[in-house]
Amino acid sequence: MTFKSALDIDCGLRYMYETLEVMSPSGRKMLLSAPMMTAKVETDDYYGRLKEVHSKDCSKIAVKLMCLKDIETTLSRLDEGAVLDDIEFFEVKYLAIVSTEVRALLEEIELEAVKLPVLEDVVKVLDPDGLNIPSFYVYDSYSPELREIRRQMRALQGNGDDMTDEQRGELAVLLQRNAEIELKVRMELSQRLRGRAADLKLALSNLSFLDILIAKAQQMRMMGLCFPNINEGGDTAYCGMFNPAVKEVVAKQGREYMPVDISIEREPVTIIGANMGGKSVVLKSLALNQLLAQFGFGVAARECQVNLVEEVALCIGDEQSIVRGVSSFAGEILAIDAVIKKIRGGKGLLALIDEPARTTNPVEGTALVEGLLEVIGKVKGGFVLTTHYNIGNDKVKRYRVKGLRDGVMDYTLEQTQCGDVPQEAIAIAQSLGIDPEWIECTKRNINN
Amino acid sequence: MPFINEILKYDSLSIVGLEKNVGKTECLNYILYRLPLQEKRVAVTSIGIDGENKDQVTSTKKPEIFLREGMYFSTAESHYKERRLVSELVEITNERSSLGRIVTAKVSVGGKALISGPSSGVSLRRWVAGMEKFGIDLTIIDGAISRLSSASPAISKAMILSTGAAYSSNIQTLVQKTKFVVEMIGLPKLEDCTRDALCDIESGVWGVDSDDNIIDFGLTSALAINSLKVDITKGMRIIYTVGALTDKLMNLIADSKNVKNVTLVVKDFTKIFVSEMAYRIFCNRGGKIMVLQKSKLIAVCVNPTAPNGYVLDSDILCGKLQEALKLPVYDIVKNKYDI
Repeated sequence: MTFKSALDIDCGLRYMYETLEVMSPSGRKMLLSAPMMTAKVETDDYYGRLKEVHSKDCSKIAVKLMCLKDIETTLSRLDEGAVLDDIEFFEVKYLAIVSTEVRALLEEIELEAVKLPVLEDVVKVLDPDGLNIPSFYVYDSYSPELREIRRQMRALQGNGDDMTDEQRGELAVLLQRNAEIELKVRMELSQRLRGRAADLKLALSNLSFLDILIAKAQQMRMMGLCFPNINEGGDTAYCGMFNPAVKEVVAKQGREYMPVDISIEREPVTIIGANMGGKSVVLKSLALNQLLAQFGFGVAARECQVNLVEEVALCIGDEQSIVRGVSSFAGEILAIDAVIKKIRGGKGLLALIDEPARTTNPVEGTALVEGLLEVIGKVKGGFVLTTHYNIGNDKVKRYRVKGLRDGVMDYTLEQTQCGDVPQEAIAIAQSLGIDPEWIECTKRNINN
Repeated sequence: MPFINEILKYDSLSIVGLEKNVGKTECLNYILYRLPLQEKRVAVTSIGIDGENKDQVTSTKKPEIFLREGMYFSTAESHYKERRLVSELVEITNERSSLGRIVTAKVSVGGKALISGPSSGVSLRRWVAGMEKFGIDLTIIDGAISRLSSASPAISKAMILSTGAAYSSNIQTLVQKTKFVVEMIGLPKLEDCTRDALCDIESGVWGVDSDDNIIDFGLTSALAINSLKVDITKGMRIIYTVGALTDKLMNLIADSKNVKNVTLVVKDFTKIFVSEMAYRIFCNRGGKIMVLQKSKLIAVCVNPTAPNGYVLDSDILCGKLQEALKLPVYDIVKNKYDI
């Protein structure tokens, strides 16, 4: 799975992407095409680098990276032996200058997470006059003949005032000759730089990578994210887990976000609790943080340890599809069935399912959920579902949302032994200010 | 040398034509040829394609743009590759046009080039701002046919207007139509305590009442005026439309009892899209119209030759225009003005 495809999972990952300040287009491209890391060696190496960047002040480098352009096509052309034009030489020179400057800054702050190749020689080739400014043309210094032709052109045309036909003809010849020599120079330059294409490519990709690392470190500071302890094949546990996208919405409403603690071992986990108790947010946060940890981001928790999985499956909301001709029930059941098949196939899957079988009658619904938990048994990645049904299975780990306390919702999770679901729906409905007569009738029916 | 010294007083200039083939490029070349480059650093771009040697629409021969040594210019990369001059590439900008990225270069040996720069008002504004880093003293924008937007004071402070036989081959009509545009450019600037607050508004139609309260009429633009059920002029002393000013809004105010007491305000003259008829009726009933931002019209240039071959008498045309506009009018092609 690439980062780009993971963005489609509705868990708040897009928000993390949108608030990530990657400066360069090439950095963004690299980030989007990054594959999910599934081995501890990879993640350890990645977070090692991120930690180093996180500990240093990289603001000067970040400014330089703002100017980085994506010139992969140009470099590939150079590599293949094409003759570059002025614009392409400008791009190459510009990249070599930026890379050289960043390289000096990396040395200055002793940052070793990213290494850049030495490109001074490339700058020298494209800057024969040693001006060290990011501009390019086929300089007079490349050829004495060129210098002479241009001198003649200038003399001939003055300020562009009316010229005789003879002078015009002469100028056209000179312009032609100028173009020929320029082309010859460009051919030579392309030939000379061809062998440097690999290093230039390396510089571009490492600068893009550095850009991503700096942006991630900055995001960690801004949002208060933590470095995950990668626990391959072990358990996943979060202390003070949150969801930055939801946290921002809550903050805008002037309320405080309540972080939760949760841990997932081999056996399935069920979360019960009142409506509006944040059960779905817990599932989304679990999905989000799993993805963050495997794409090398800071994780939204105070501290955490994370098991690595091959895939994250988040079944949330209505799977109904008029186009495919399935009802919400059918859509949901089919999605869960796909999850079961993947788990049976031995895939390391983190499956997060929001209120399975909620759209059918409670008797069969309860039976379906109990059956599902039984069939799943122990899993490699993790299996969490939320439900309003009273589940009888004993081989599950149970959490419940603390729920309404004196009319105020407590979103924190507590572990419980019994599967009895809280009956707070009417109280919550009442707090939403709905029709009092409806509430009255409901209460009468319950008491009967 | 007409108007060059006047141009040097400003840091941005746009050249706009009322029609194709009204001699805009001649006018640009005239200016580029005479600017004292040893004193001023100049950058040139165009909102359309300029400098092509054959007209894309009427297939008539067109003058090409000649850039002198030391000038900066911005053009699309595909046109940059076709340049017939020697120049040093100094920037690949983040702007794009349909012809590729816009690049900026400094002329090293003078010559001809096709110029096609940023095409939207916003990107032009960014271009003008971006030229600062090269120490540019004067930015020149060559406008496109019947697009006055590049002359918006938000983009350039001074402007030159080109008109000619291509706009109308009847001197009387040509003078009248040009006069109307010049009149709009010359509308007085609003001096009011609410001016700064009005400048910050980004869209809609607004009013200012006698107590200086700024009131939103809840319209997305003047085009939505039909949805109004009340008389918006009632109790107002200013009606301000941020976007386009149309005949409909103008007629609505002209028809109201309050017409003498309210001032109609627009952002700048490029937002005015009213017919001359509607404007005259509005004025006759005592209506006043003002702008928030004003650009300086430096001169009017004329081309007495139309692409269909029709030629007007240059002297008579210049004389009549000058009389009507109370502004200097020049036929640049005919009169080879001295340096």
